[in-house]
This record gives sequence, C-alpha cells and structure tokens, in this order.
Amino acid sequence: MKEFIMVFRNAPMGGFTPTPEQIQAVDKQWGDWFATIIAQGKHGGGYRPGPDGKTAKPENVVTDGPYAEVKEILMGVSVLKVETIDEALEIAKGCPILQAGGTVEVRPVIFMN
Amino acid sequence: MKEFVMLFRNAPTGENRPTPEIMQEFAKKWDNWLGGIAAQGKFVSGSRLGSEGKILKPGNVVTDGPYAEVKEILGGFISVKAESLEDAFAMTPGCPILLLGGYVEVRPIIPNNV
Repeated sequence: MKEFIMVFRNAPMGGFTPTPEQIQAVDKQWGDWFATIIAQGKHGGGYRPGPDGKTAKPENVVTDGPYAEVKEILMGVSVLKVETIDEALEIAKGCPILQAGGTVEVRPVIFMN
Repeated sequence: MKEFVMLFRNAPTGENRPTPEIMQEFAKKWDNWLGGIAAQGKFVSGSRLGSEGKILKPGNVVTDGPYAEVKEILGGFISVKAESLEDAFAMTPGCPILLLGGYVEVRPIIPNNV
C-alpha cells in the first residue's frame, strides 16, 4: 500500500469567530468523514496545527504568526493508505473544507529513512 | 513534551533540475540536520512529498500539478517534540531549505486529533 497526503487549506478567518454551535457542526462533519476513511482501513494518521506559529526564512529572518500576509493557511494534513492518487482524490471529495471554500491538495509521500 | 510540526516550503524549481551531485550534497545536509534532531530524541516522524499532485477545490474542480500557478510548494514536513514553540523553533537553524531560498514554518500540533 502506498501513502498519499491530503493538505487542507483555507483562507484565514481574521476577526471572525464561529459560535460553539457552528464549531460543533463542523467538528461533526469532519468526524463523520474521517470515520468513513477509518472504516475502510485507509486512515494513516494526521496533524492539526494550531493557528499560532513562527516561520524561519533565509538570512535569519523570522516572522511570527504569518497569517496576515498570506491568502490561505494550512489547517491540517492527513495520510491516506491507498494505491493511487485518483483513489486518494475520490476520498478527498468528501472533505468538509470544500464546503467552507477551502481546498485539498493530494500528494504522494516519499518515504524517508 | 508537546509536539510541533515543521513545514518545509520552497519556490517550484520548474524545469531547473539540480545536478545529481547537488542533490546528493543536499541529501547529506538533510540527513545531518535531521540526525541532529533525532540525536536529541526530539524527532517524531516525517514525510517528504513527491512533486506531482492534484488540488481539489469547491464544486469538484480538480487541477493537476498546480505548481505553475503558485509561488511556493510544500516539500515535506516533520513532527518534533519540544517544550514550547520557541524550543521547536530553535531547531530550525541548519535546515537545508534555508540555503535554497525556502522557509520553515513551525506550528503547534493540536492533540487528540483523529
């Protein structure tokens, strides 16, 4: 089985803060979607990074929380254990971020030693 | 110990392929840098991403190999253990992507994710 990664991106929300009900509804959509992937034995783990961060650039330039200057931020990554990129793409079509204006990038993983 | 993810981004190289010698030199630089993190017991896992890919946008719009239209692509990522964002960030000097004009974004991982 090969591995592919899904990269979830969306525009920064800026000053918008969702209500607890909205957060709960979106969490459920994600939970349901992941449950179908897990049920097929194709889930290979993932990360959800928090919104704060720090970026190292060449020449010792450091930027804090770089999100004011970018159009979209990485919201998370998730590994899929499938044979082809098209199979990964079919699974990605159910991702709730697509209903929120975000994107899913699907890429093959090259194993590191 | 908390976990942090380091994202490695760079401009697409396009048709400008590095020579095998340069690739080998950089593979060694990556090994040395990652080895230093691993030697401190702070390396958790990592993935290097292939250059091909597809992007899915709302309304089932799919774009192939999206890299002509973007300024930078994600080349890979690792997760590390550290006490704080500052401690994780302190591991970034020496990352070979900084020698190639790329950058390293360090973000905390929200635990208990599926």
